[in-house]
Amino acid sequence: MPGLNTSLSIAVQALQAEQGALSVTANNISNVNTPGYSRQVAILNEAPTFQENTTTFGSGVTLDQFQSVRDQLLQLRLYEETQQQGNSQTQLNSLTQIEGMFSDPAQGVGGALSAFFNSLSQLSTNPTDANARQQVLTAGNNLANSFHQAVSGLGTIQSGLDQSVPQTVDQINRLTTQIAALNGQVAQMQGLGKDPGSTQDQRDELIRQLSALVNVSVTQTEHGLTLTTGNGVPLVVANQSFALQSGTNSSNVQDVFSAQGQDITSQIQGGQLGGTLQIRDQVIPQVFTQLNNLASQFATRFNTQHQVGFDAAGNAGQNFFTPLASPTNAAANFGVAITDPSLIAASSDGSAGSNGNLAPLLATRDQQLPSGASPMNMYSNLVLQVGNFGANAQADVNASNLSVQQITDQRSAVSGVSLDEETTNMIRYQRAYEAGARVVTTVDSMFDTLMAMGVLT
Amino acid sequence: MRVNPDMSADVLAAIWNTQSQEDTALQQMSTGKRVNAPSDDPLAAAQMVGNQDQSNRTDQYLQNIDTLTSQLQTADGALSSVVQQLTQAITLGVQGTTGTLSAGNRQQIVQNLQGIQSQLVQLANTSIGGSYLFAGTATTAPPYALDSSSPSGVTYSGNSGTNTVQAADGLTLQTNLPGSQLFQNPGGDVFAAMQQLITSLQTGTATDAGNATNQLRSAFDFITGQRIFYGNAVNQLNSTQTFLQQEQVTLKSQANTLVGADLTKAATDLTRAQTAHDAALAAAAKILPTSLLDYLK
Repeated sequence: MPGLNTSLSIAVQALQAEQGALSVTANNISNVNTPGYSRQVAILNEAPTFQENTTTFGSGVTLDQFQSVRDQLLQLRLYEETQQQGNSQTQLNSLTQIEGMFSDPAQGVGGALSAFFNSLSQLSTNPTDANARQQVLTAGNNLANSFHQAVSGLGTIQSGLDQSVPQTVDQINRLTTQIAALNGQVAQMQGLGKDPGSTQDQRDELIRQLSALVNVSVTQTEHGLTLTTGNGVPLVVANQSFALQSGTNSSNVQDVFSAQGQDITSQIQGGQLGGTLQIRDQVIPQVFTQLNNLASQFATRFNTQHQVGFDAAGNAGQNFFTPLASPTNAAANFGVAITDPSLIAASSDGSAGSNGNLAPLLATRDQQLPSGASPMNMYSNLVLQVGNFGANAQADVNASNLSVQQITDQRSAVSGVSLDEETTNMIRYQRAYEAGARVVTTVDSMFDTLMAMGVLT
Repeated sequence: MRVNPDMSADVLAAIWNTQSQEDTALQQMSTGKRVNAPSDDPLAAAQMVGNQDQSNRTDQYLQNIDTLTSQLQTADGALSSVVQQLTQAITLGVQGTTGTLSAGNRQQIVQNLQGIQSQLVQLANTSIGGSYLFAGTATTAPPYALDSSSPSGVTYSGNSGTNTVQAADGLTLQTNLPGSQLFQNPGGDVFAAMQQLITSLQTGTATDAGNATNQLRSAFDFITGQRIFYGNAVNQLNSTQTFLQQEQVTLKSQANTLVGADLTKAATDLTRAQTAHDAALAAAAKILPTSLLDYLK
């Protein structure tokens, strides 16, 4: 039969347990706004019972541990969607800039091409008009400028993306170093059967940040997590991190290398880095190719017809545009080859007043180039493609934002701190503590009663 | 069931969402365009490139028509003066064939005819903006010069070239008749007949003068016939102009269909987005600050 002392020590245990549980609540409330924090719960257990004769007595409560509440599966899905989000958002940012150059049909290469043909049409009404001839040269130079502007605009975006590659790689390396350190601690604590708690929260939050930068795949091992890029290049194994490297390749752009020096640029698909590389290495080169093809094929076709005609002095026509046989850098090199307006070969019979070569020159506006489309259609195809890139990226961003939000909600439903819940717990623990304290005073007064009897058991 | 205790992220997302809907509707209303970037509707944006080009072409065709009409009208005006001059020359020729003329009278008629001859040369050298209208395609120099050694009394330095101009898609129009065809046509040679009349009055008989006057008459008929070319061309340009103006309207309405905003819809969207935005804000204001703590003493 337990005595008053036993009751006292049980009551004290209760006070300690409720105090401990309250500290969990306090910690939860303090971290209500900490990103990635998983709420903790106090695990209270009955203390071991003891038996006397046929009666089993309880010996109070113990606070076994603080346990973080988390769903590892949701965490993994969050990483996946975060990669997608980082990727598509980065692409969208660049594509918004790119499509800005193709927004106004009256401007840019399309508008300049249209204006160039109009100047030829104008000249056909009066082929000896010096102003009209000058206007053709001006319109030709404007067309060249619009090609150059498109090239330099795209080039600026491309080199901006290129410069961001080493910065992103640095960020990745900083994160993997931190993750490796925390990963070691988590594994150690788990090895000892302890709940890693906020250490794991910090690590998981850093992995989430890493996911926004690059595609990571996460595998659980007995030594903690192993992080690799999507294609298996290790980033973190146990407590060790493997730094990626960036460096210029033969075409003078930044490539990404694994810690072992293997070029993994083309294998990086997710996250900001994947999005950056996608725009830099796929989208912009495609736009360049189309511009170059247009520039080279149009200049070649126009020159061929221009040479059929005669200039104002009756001499055979020269090249109107700088010859661009190869599409390589054609848009950048696009230019008007003549500076003297009288060299425009408008005439078909050698007389200055003939406009006979202008009609076939004007006809190149609607003739198929080797690409299978007219110059204007080549340009509108380009606009279509740029628009599709942008629209797809926008749809991806919307979808991944929604997914991330949903998963964050789900994760928060499991791990998020609810102030209402904590307040309720606080009241529970407070009441239990008060009750425990009341037991202590009661036992105390019972002792007093005993003392007054002058008898000790 | 435990739910997501932190609604702030969802509430913020809802507010941003309604805000972006407001932005879209507002942008559509202020620009009048549904497609403000190619990604808003890639196909429509691509079709707008063609529409814009077609609209530019139409503008240029209309400009061309203005220029051509004035060229053709100037040429026709010159021919009308030629016809007047020829009428006068024919009258003089008829006078010259009456056998009762004194040498002095003949001399005077010859002088008058020579005056007309040089008038005709001037008219055949009509230019607009430095471009000679009756020189074929050799338009940079006056095509006709008086030349007493030539049987026609003039030399022609132009050529027989013609120009055509595109006045609309699929419509090319010849814009000039060379002087050699107008004034020195075998079917009615103005200058040869004039020179012949002058020569016959100077040195020939009344019969010669009569023959020459007859030739002048057929030249007159021929020129009058050729004016139809200019009249037809101007008429054709006029009707093309009407067609192109209609085309401009069609293209504008097509552009509006492609990328224009439906303002009624945009205004409705804006109102709807505003209502949703207000609702989201009101909900946020009501939900976010509420917690159990409000109800505990």
